[in-house]
Amino acid sequence: MKNPAPILRCEGVGKSFEGFTALSDVTVDFFADRLTSIIGPNGAGKSTFFNVLSGTYRPSVGTVHFEGKDITNLEQSRFAHIGIAKSFQITNLFPQLSVHENVRVAVQAMHARWSLWRPRAHFKEVVEKADALLALVGLADRRNETTENLAHGEQRALEIAVALACAPRLLLLDEPTAGMSPEEARDMMKLIAKLHETRAVIVVEHRMKLVMGISNHIVVLHHGRLLAEGSPDEIRTHDEVRRVYLGSAI
Amino acid sequence: MNSPVDPARLSISVPAAAPVRTRLKGLVEISTEHRVVLALAFLVIFPWFAPYEALAVNILVFGLFAVGYNLIYGYTGMLSFGHAALFGLGAYGAGIPIAKFGWHVLPALGLGILVAGAGAAMIGWFATRTRGIYFAMVTLAAAQVVYYIAFQWVAMTGGEDGLRGVNVGVVNLLGLHLNLLDPRTKYYAILLVVGLALWAFSRILQSPFGAVLEAVRENERRAAACGYNVRRVRLLAFTLSGLFSGLAGALYGIHLSVVPIETLHYFTSATVLMMTLLGGMGTFFGPFVGAFTYLLLADVVTVITVHWQLFVGGLFVFLILFFPRGIWGSLMHWAER
Amino acid sequence: MTFDLFLLQFFTGLALGSIFVLVALGLSLIFGLLTVVNFAHGQFYMLGAYAGAFVLAWTGSFWIAFLVVPLLVGAIGMLCERVLVRPLYGRGIDYPLLLTFGLGLMLLDGVSMIAGTEGVPFDTPAGLTGAVNLGLFYFPKYRLFLIVVTALLLIALWLFLEKTSYGLIIRAGALDSEIVQILGVNISRIWLVVFGIGIGIAGLAGLLAAPMRGVFPEMGIPVLVEAFVVTVVGGMGSLVGAVVAGLLVGVTYSFTAFYFPQMAQLSMFILMGVVLVLCPRGLFGRAGVLG
Repeated sequence: MKNPAPILRCEGVGKSFEGFTALSDVTVDFFADRLTSIIGPNGAGKSTFFNVLSGTYRPSVGTVHFEGKDITNLEQSRFAHIGIAKSFQITNLFPQLSVHENVRVAVQAMHARWSLWRPRAHFKEVVEKADALLALVGLADRRNETTENLAHGEQRALEIAVALACAPRLLLLDEPTAGMSPEEARDMMKLIAKLHETRAVIVVEHRMKLVMGISNHIVVLHHGRLLAEGSPDEIRTHDEVRRVYLGSAI
Repeated sequence: MNSPVDPARLSISVPAAAPVRTRLKGLVEISTEHRVVLALAFLVIFPWFAPYEALAVNILVFGLFAVGYNLIYGYTGMLSFGHAALFGLGAYGAGIPIAKFGWHVLPALGLGILVAGAGAAMIGWFATRTRGIYFAMVTLAAAQVVYYIAFQWVAMTGGEDGLRGVNVGVVNLLGLHLNLLDPRTKYYAILLVVGLALWAFSRILQSPFGAVLEAVRENERRAAACGYNVRRVRLLAFTLSGLFSGLAGALYGIHLSVVPIETLHYFTSATVLMMTLLGGMGTFFGPFVGAFTYLLLADVVTVITVHWQLFVGGLFVFLILFFPRGIWGSLMHWAER
Repeated sequence: MTFDLFLLQFFTGLALGSIFVLVALGLSLIFGLLTVVNFAHGQFYMLGAYAGAFVLAWTGSFWIAFLVVPLLVGAIGMLCERVLVRPLYGRGIDYPLLLTFGLGLMLLDGVSMIAGTEGVPFDTPAGLTGAVNLGLFYFPKYRLFLIVVTALLLIALWLFLEKTSYGLIIRAGALDSEIVQILGVNISRIWLVVFGIGIGIAGLAGLLAAPMRGVFPEMGIPVLVEAFVVTVVGGMGSLVGAVVAGLLVGVTYSFTAFYFPQMAQLSMFILMGVVLVLCPRGLFGRAGVLG
């Protein structure tokens, strides 16, 4: 997947809320062939940045381009259709639907969503794709459970499956290992690395060890501004970054 | 919006539970799969043990009204306080052609449905720009507008006195000679229409669109992230709801031979909400259970006192505090545990 | 339209709008802090009018009623909050909404049972009858009184919320009730008091409106719809919005009544429709934050 043009580019992105500036003047290029992680101490603006990239917020200033197209003012519901999917920091699923249905309805969004007459099971393609995704994240045997009955790690995996439903070319993950045990986190990271083989992935994380392990490129935010970006080695030895993360093991 | 009730799911997991519970669950599964047939079977034999015919027809009509309401409240999570407008639009939409222009009942029904659907689309266009409590307020205000217009437009609607002369006597349909003046025949004719509507409703729920409604109710943000245009979904749901509720209204007018202005009154909106709550939101049988219970209770109460709003209000309060799942909903919830 | 006629219509609109402001204010206050949509709000307004009529008959003094009614109705409101609304906190927005709706129905019929369905007469209080010369036009004294009282009440409320420590707690609680609780404040007592204030203002509005709009059991229903329209236009939870929108709706009604009398009732709905298209969250809308 060697592509010289950036898959996602933001220029001069800033975001303010009623006088409080969460982001200012962030210009970053994301490339499909390198897994990029966005890191920064608490309050750095990572979540806000994620929300701008993934369409929850419109930036106050600046532009965002996806595959060359301007998506700065694109409505949230269009993102899945143009090939951008995301997972949320706090597990955000359809609580009372079954595991299978969670993914199925997400896949359906790309297919037969307006059909009023035929039963859902009729659209076999949708059902099969959903099952395939469940198998991919290791939840095939939990197919008929309600999401409420899943363990936390399983819910996060389901979150990924739902995000994958729209066959995205860019996957945005907001702290995918939040609340997970070390083994679960390692499994998640393996899954993410595998996913990166076939699509662009951008991860927001604050667990440095995990980030260093799988990222090809790291973007560091601080006080809403771009502090540094580079390869893991460059960031590891970056003076400013070390100062900002004073004390935390890199 | 929070929804306290489990929806009528198609795939229900069967955990390792006590044999009685499993059998009950099995029953629930079967009843869900064949819900239309079961509902109709019950309604077909209903007249034999209903206290009197008019009550039976009212249950059909208001049951259908509540079914339409349930589509948006129970299944999509949108609380509307203006559904009387859709009911009334259907009633006047069918009643006026019959009373004033001598139309045959079937095209009049069709027109009633269309008028209600168009009204729902218009009201919905405004209302779906808002969510949650705003939505409730806007629908209430919209219904007031419709009420006000009907009240003033005496030439068409009869104003305060209602629309009189919605007389459907004998209907010649497909060679059948139906005398709708006979209460039994009227009941079964209306049941036929309601049955078809219920079947259509069930198809919609099972369809991919039905899945979208559930998704939007469960988690709107997630649905949008998956690519659903939530506003458009809601608008379509509201319009569909208008079609069903409007049909109910049209049937009501035909049943009474009169369209009272009260069909547009906010109390009618409250009544349908009450029935849906009473029966159980988001369940297929709930609305009919609710309509049945409410109308029966109302009948009993009006014998005792003229102050039945007090009773309705008290019932509301009681339900919200103790049985938010309603009768059928509570049964379902217990059975599925 | 000559200038003095314009002013007359404008002031009439302000007087009408004052009632809208008071009712919407209570509604917004309760929603802003408790996230409760009080569907019984119109009925508390009605209670205020009836309580006023009752106190007036008993004491002969409008001014005593003016003082007593808000307190009395507010107390009833607090009782309802404690017994009925309190158990539903945390269960989602629908529940208190539906409950207050049922409560409203009960209040309406309850009052019909006690005081009859025909309504009670309520004359303009002595001393406030007649018109006053405002230079360019004559304006009914009572309506001027209404505008002045509302303005004073708004100032008092603003002072209370902005300048007192209790008001600070209320505003903080509206922003984040959890933190306020952690800081040791008894948030449920705050909710109780705010609910009482909101209801009390509604009751006062009913009393003040009585000479103009009459006293009868169903009087609260159109008022509720009006309050909702004002809230949608102004923005739910915004007190500034309630004031601006209330006056705007009143003035719009007044001018529409002058030019197209039949459309007057519809004018506020058209206004609401326009606002919904242009700013769906209302003019000052930001859910759940006061001011």
